[in-house]
Amino acid sequence: MITMAVSGTTLEIREVYDPYVREWKERGGRVVGYSCVATPVELIEAAGLLPYRIKALGNPRTDLADGEMSLFNCSFCRSCLQLALDGTYDFLDGLIETNGCDHLRAMFENWQHNKNLPFFHYLKVPHFFRDDSLEYFRGELDLLRDHLASHFSAPVEDDALRRSLEDWNQVRERWRELCALRELPEPRVTGSEALALELAGSRMTGKDFAELLSSFIEERKKAPGKKPRARLMLCGPATDEVAWLEEMESMGAVVVADALCFGSRAFMHRPGTGGDPLDELAEGYLTSIFCPRMYKEYGKRRSYILETARRAGVDGAIYLYNKFCDLHGTDSVLVRRDLENSGIPVLVLEKEYSAAADLGRIKTRVQAFLERIGGGV
Amino acid sequence: MEKGYVMRPGENGFERAVGILEMVYKFTENVSDEAVEGAANFVFPELKNTVLGLLELPANRDLEIFFFQRLLELFWEAQRAQSEGKKLIFIPFTFPPELFWAFDSLFPLCTEIVSGAIVNICYGQGERFWDYAMSLGLPDSLCSGNTIGIASLLAGPGLKPDAIVYNTPGSCNPNAKIHAFAADYLGIPQFILEKPVDESPRGREQYYKYLLRFVRELEEWTGEELKEERLREVMQRAYRAVDLYNEYWELKKARPCPVPNIFSMTLLVLRSQMWGREECVEVLQRMVDISKERLRKGEYTAPEEVARIYVSYIYWLFDFYNYFTWMEKKGISILGDILAIHYFPPIDYSSKESMLRAYADIAFDYPMTRQMGGESISLRWVDDICYAVQDLGADACVFGGVHACKHTLGTISFFRRELMKRLGIPTLVLVGDVFDKRQTPMEIFQREVETFVDQVVSRKKAARRRKT
Repeated sequence: MITMAVSGTTLEIREVYDPYVREWKERGGRVVGYSCVATPVELIEAAGLLPYRIKALGNPRTDLADGEMSLFNCSFCRSCLQLALDGTYDFLDGLIETNGCDHLRAMFENWQHNKNLPFFHYLKVPHFFRDDSLEYFRGELDLLRDHLASHFSAPVEDDALRRSLEDWNQVRERWRELCALRELPEPRVTGSEALALELAGSRMTGKDFAELLSSFIEERKKAPGKKPRARLMLCGPATDEVAWLEEMESMGAVVVADALCFGSRAFMHRPGTGGDPLDELAEGYLTSIFCPRMYKEYGKRRSYILETARRAGVDGAIYLYNKFCDLHGTDSVLVRRDLENSGIPVLVLEKEYSAAADLGRIKTRVQAFLERIGGGV
Repeated sequence: MEKGYVMRPGENGFERAVGILEMVYKFTENVSDEAVEGAANFVFPELKNTVLGLLELPANRDLEIFFFQRLLELFWEAQRAQSEGKKLIFIPFTFPPELFWAFDSLFPLCTEIVSGAIVNICYGQGERFWDYAMSLGLPDSLCSGNTIGIASLLAGPGLKPDAIVYNTPGSCNPNAKIHAFAADYLGIPQFILEKPVDESPRGREQYYKYLLRFVRELEEWTGEELKEERLREVMQRAYRAVDLYNEYWELKKARPCPVPNIFSMTLLVLRSQMWGREECVEVLQRMVDISKERLRKGEYTAPEEVARIYVSYIYWLFDFYNYFTWMEKKGISILGDILAIHYFPPIDYSSKESMLRAYADIAFDYPMTRQMGGESISLRWVDDICYAVQDLGADACVFGGVHACKHTLGTISFFRRELMKRLGIPTLVLVGDVFDKRQTPMEIFQREVETFVDQVVSRKKAARRRKT
């Protein structure tokens, strides 16, 4: 469960099908699930649908999913699949698959084999940015738009798409402001709060999310900050485990910057709004996937991570990924090398998703790392 | 330094393997059983299993000696390539090599063949290189198939490629990632050919466009234009091998299967490394001739063919003797694996474009790229295995899972259910590793397969016989 105060009210995310989504459905709204940040939520929203980013909210159970996927598959994907198989995700009216990684593809296939959702679309995202891959991706967005429109009888007009683009650009703008507050010498926002906000926003309309962020930012601008014992950067894949970040931060450190998939990496792009909206979306998204699933782009990821780490003045970085993640596991070697060469100590942690048994072990290692970088309790 | 790990100055895993492989020239044709036994007892235990796996059964002895002599010569060429002004490139086993043979200035060496040579020839079976990769911080969930070969590069000294080429982003993350990592780590160029997970005409057309771009990049890098005549020459040779492959496939249908089990491994190496070269045609021709002769004479190693197995994923390749030979002696015929299913389109040799079109189709439908890079991994995989099982008359499937292969491990339950539903074919699911015996030792593999064949396959066959 995620609980935090925003504008005098308590923001709670207790469950996947939470009151915000429930109300949307009760009003007759339809919801489409997606998983990867390469999915242009603007398109979904412009079709009058609510984009819902698949998450597991720390669900540790995987028994049903283990009947389909193996124990050598990412436990986050298995945890999400579990929620599909046990009916938690039955509120979804459709699902958009992306070729993010091998685990994710297997998760989607098993989901569809078992649930047979009436709307299932495979958005094929190229693994590098180039003029020819951009052209292909642009075509993919066309196909998605047509499929959404035909299945949901909801034509995606350019004007609606532009409005949606503007809303989500507002979100991105607010997110950057939020990051600036995190990066202050006395941060006003913790890493776990930022993650909780992203989790809340990733099941909202762009407009509502931007408003949530605005309220939060205004509130925190006025609040006093506190100098942390250590300033950390957190790198890694899609993790929605707020509790883990809270545990890390409970040791006196603050995660002042991140390169997470449920985090800053989801807000890197800023599609323009002047030209053809699908062109803008295609280029905006494909140029801004700072994920190790992109090839020949390590240099870009390195620059982004180094630049962020320097700007935020971090004392150290933690690269946290789930066991069996080959993409992040392999990238972490290069990231550690390059950050350490720049004088930033790095701790690489491999763990199972939401495994309580891993928490003590991880805390011990984080504690030792904080002592190493001079921020120990 | 442990015994057997000693390397001469400038040597590494590959050089060591090549050095030991030179013993293959000690063998001539018509080698006696005594000579094989003597050689097997002369070498260290891991190599003994390789020697016996290749040479114990008389049916495949001459062929494997001939084949390994050709492979050794190719390795020597690889070692000389850079000093002869060629660029040495590493390619994964998922990339049809014939395109690269059409460049005079390139020498492609398949990463997994390098790993396989180290594992099956060197003392310690390449474990030191796997461990070296782990010491860099790489995750232990990577694929030993490529990581052992790559780590031997990174560990140095010895062979160093000029570039790394790969084509599995989106179809196999561990494969693509370790190749990209090696290029980033070594600071050498990398060339990428992505297959869109899109089987529509649009997806195929995009792949063709990517291929043209890929060729252009290679041309710019090497300074050599891909010549039409040279491409034709190579593709014609490649298609002579295709004709033989088709004959080989037909021979697999006979009962009992006249094709020795170890030929499955031989075919894999030929396809991954030698396709488009004359030696490939020569070796394949001999494989077909031997199998035809066995068919004519009704020869089969065991007293009877107990089971016809299709390996629904890939063979485990760290112990030829206890895998291929053991099954053959037990009367278990291996009909193929996922890497043995090839789709070769008709080819039009009239222009460079028409040949590249055919090559694009071959590469698009290349084993594993086709299934794991398919629009649906599970459906494409099960469709293709169903085809092979039916066409060759398999009784059962063995899934020798590899812990690195998250795509198949993530869909194996569906695959097993579907295969049973569609064809009534049972699948034995095992998880281990292609090149690292520490994951699941061969003793366990044998025990599981034996039980499966006794308890499931044989009983099922007997029940079927009773019914008829």
